Amino acid sequence: MEFVSSAIGKLGPAGLVVKAILGSLLGIFLLIGFIVLRRWYRSRYFRRRSERTFALRTQWDDIVSGKIPLRNWRLDPLDCEIVESILLDGIETATPEQLPGLLDCLRKSGLIDLRICEARMERGWKQRTALLALGRTRAAEAIPALAEALEASSPETCIAAVRGLGRTARKEAAVPILDRIVAGHFDVPEHTLKNALVNCCRDNPRVLLYYLEHSYGPVRELLARVMGELASADLGEELLVLAADPLAEVRASAARALGSTNTSYTLPALHTLTNDAEWFVRLRAVVALGHLENLGKIRILLRSLCDRNRHVRQRAAWALAQMEPHLQQILEGVVASEDEYALQTFISELERSGAIEKVVSTLEVGSDHESVQAALLEVIAAARKQVELTAQTTGAAAAHKAAVATAGAS
Amino acid sequence: MLRFLQISNDTLFVYYLFSNLIYFGLLITAIFKNVIHRHRLASQRLELFKASPFTPPITLIVPAHNEEKSIVDSVQALLRLDYPSLEVVVVNDGSRDLTLQKLQLAYQLRTARLLYIADIATAPLRGMYRSPVEPRLLILDKEAAGCKADAINAGLNAATSPYVCVVDADSILERESLLRIMEGVFSDPSQVVAVGGIVRVLNGSSVVHGELQEVRLPKRAMEVMQVIEYLRAFLVGREAWAGFNMLPIISGAFGVFQRDLVKQIGGFRTHAVGEDLDLVVRLHRRLQETHRPYHINFIADPTCWTEVPTDLTSLARQRARWHKGLIDALWPNRDMLFRARFGRVGWAILPYMWVFEFFAPVIELVGYFTIGTAMMLGVLSRSFFLQFLLFGYAFATLISIGSVLLEEMTYRRYNRRRDVARLLIYCLFEHFPYRQLTMIWRLQGIWQYLRGDLQWREMKRVGLASSAD
Repeated sequence: MEFVSSAIGKLGPAGLVVKAILGSLLGIFLLIGFIVLRRWYRSRYFRRRSERTFALRTQWDDIVSGKIPLRNWRLDPLDCEIVESILLDGIETATPEQLPGLLDCLRKSGLIDLRICEARMERGWKQRTALLALGRTRAAEAIPALAEALEASSPETCIAAVRGLGRTARKEAAVPILDRIVAGHFDVPEHTLKNALVNCCRDNPRVLLYYLEHSYGPVRELLARVMGELASADLGEELLVLAADPLAEVRASAARALGSTNTSYTLPALHTLTNDAEWFVRLRAVVALGHLENLGKIRILLRSLCDRNRHVRQRAAWALAQMEPHLQQILEGVVASEDEYALQTFISELERSGAIEKVVSTLEVGSDHESVQAALLEVIAAARKQVELTAQTTGAAAAHKAAVATAGAS
Repeated sequence: MLRFLQISNDTLFVYYLFSNLIYFGLLITAIFKNVIHRHRLASQRLELFKASPFTPPITLIVPAHNEEKSIVDSVQALLRLDYPSLEVVVVNDGSRDLTLQKLQLAYQLRTARLLYIADIATAPLRGMYRSPVEPRLLILDKEAAGCKADAINAGLNAATSPYVCVVDADSILERESLLRIMEGVFSDPSQVVAVGGIVRVLNGSSVVHGELQEVRLPKRAMEVMQVIEYLRAFLVGREAWAGFNMLPIISGAFGVFQRDLVKQIGGFRTHAVGEDLDLVVRLHRRLQETHRPYHINFIADPTCWTEVPTDLTSLARQRARWHKGLIDALWPNRDMLFRARFGRVGWAILPYMWVFEFFAPVIELVGYFTIGTAMMLGVLSRSFFLQFLLFGYAFATLISIGSVLLEEMTYRRYNRRRDVARLLIYCLFEHFPYRQLTMIWRLQGIWQYLRGDLQWREMKRVGLASSAD
């Protein structure tokens, strides 16, 4: 060894290069060795895990019911890991009848306590893993530990805590998140927050109402978007309050929820919202109207078909085109509006849905009011031609623009 | 003369050393980033993203030029992707084969009268089609403009989602790839303007109806070399550069962009040789100029599988084109170099691209010449020369093996022991003679660019359909 190092030393600057070569070769051998060892270790681990999973699965009912003493699996780290993983997967898909048994097993084995302890005492990835596992348990006692982690200085830990709280899908879990959001800056991606809140408040959107009232600015918008996904008929007359809210997102959420109600105030409220200043509120109202089983909506949708926003027009056309037995009546109403855009949108939608041929054939074979039907057929033919021309014009306009741009570039 | 040779050789040694050290630094950064990303993945549940009502819609833009062999399978596979709100816009870019007819037959296309506003000028549209059986599909039929960028721009004009993803018609996305790549956007939608995914080599793997069935390493050495190159470029280079927010390129085969931002900068530059690199450099420029905080991200687990050239002629053409694309993107943006307003992009990544990417084949060629001459004239000790050559070879091989290690530690797409063993063995041969060949092809690219030869030369493709079992 000494001979080698003295020989390299005598080489001078070339010795440095030789050392670098040796270092690189050593690196190559180490990397290859690491890859080979890792492969060997992993294949051995997975083989063993597969064997143990099979063994534990065969005794699964006895493990959950406690017939097999806990010490048989709880003190073996691999068995414990496998049982916890199966229990957590089971909880996610469990029926209300199965859930208490699985939770009981987690509690009696002390696995929940272990995870709560890890969530409070550990830091870094181990803490985050514990937080997510706690969330998956859906146990009420997990919520305080998860809520504490919301105060962590690391954004990654906060995200894991929010995800964990979301996974519990319990309304109590929404409260610490909402408190933190309303209190001020909360450095968690909006997407994660919204998903967690939707999970927690799905069965009880009323939790959000208090916070909506007591928040403002971007926080209120965020909560309004969550409410937009959750607002349901259960909110009752609160929906009317939301429909009159100054924030457009809140009005949109009310519009969406009204679509699933069928009360005396539904149609008038949606009618008001179809005249809203914000296009997306009008759009939500039109979509909601589309779901209603009430012929009174035709009149409102015909007005929305003449809306200044094309998305609203298209959606109104879509809703009207679904009302097959009344298509002739609707067509007459569209023609009576004398709005060419509305007519084009409606005819395009009929073509897209394939209903146009039915309308035409009904009009062709019909015997009542022949002059009216002939006039409608003429209108349809003219409108279809007009739509065709519009498509050609936009194509030609694009071609013209491209030609101008090419000429400019050259 | 002797003095010149001495200086030249010293410069080359320093250059070579720096080049390898930078890549070594990138490897270390990439290993850390990948490990952290793997930890994060463990806490994510894709089915929750899929079920979330807040997952933003996305439009897949698929430019298709003479893709009759694979277009139906590709579109079917794209429509099967796991994503809650998806729109697929196929742009038939003046195909002379049966691309449109095949789509018409498969999806019973009907003429659609939609409002198409050409915010970005493109070659004229001949028609728009929708399918009654697949409402998420929109086909644009346009006249050929001789470049992919024009077709993508037409798709951008028609896209209705806030995010667009450009996908090559002959590539295959893994089923969860869109959810995975969009995770990079969800992390901070206000700042993340673009995300790139990894592109892997499809050759050798089995494909049935546009879906990947089994991953295998290709049989031919030339294709395996490309696998190693792709692993190094994506898992090491892009991962690390993205970590410093200096990602210079998002592959044209698979990348997600904010639609409105791309439109603001005029879309993909028509007639750009490498439209993907060009777009990302222009995005950096715009965002740095407007002082908008942003992040251009790279995520290594959303995967797109693509065919790579199987013969030397096609490979040579591809590499020459890539190098032309590099110059074509760097030259118009040369004013960004060493300018304070362009921050780290102007001070780090663009100079790196000029020195260690664009000039690399020239410097390598000069190096072979001057070192050879110096050795013949006795200016350079033969043993020192051999030692340095061996060091360069060993160090570069170390980095290649490092990228295979990264693949092993993280995504493990090549599961068979035999495949991994072959990858490791080929790492030993990548730097001789494959590297010298790519040097020649890149020099050809420079030469063609200087001559103004920006023509797109067809690449021979086997076609996904023929990969089917």
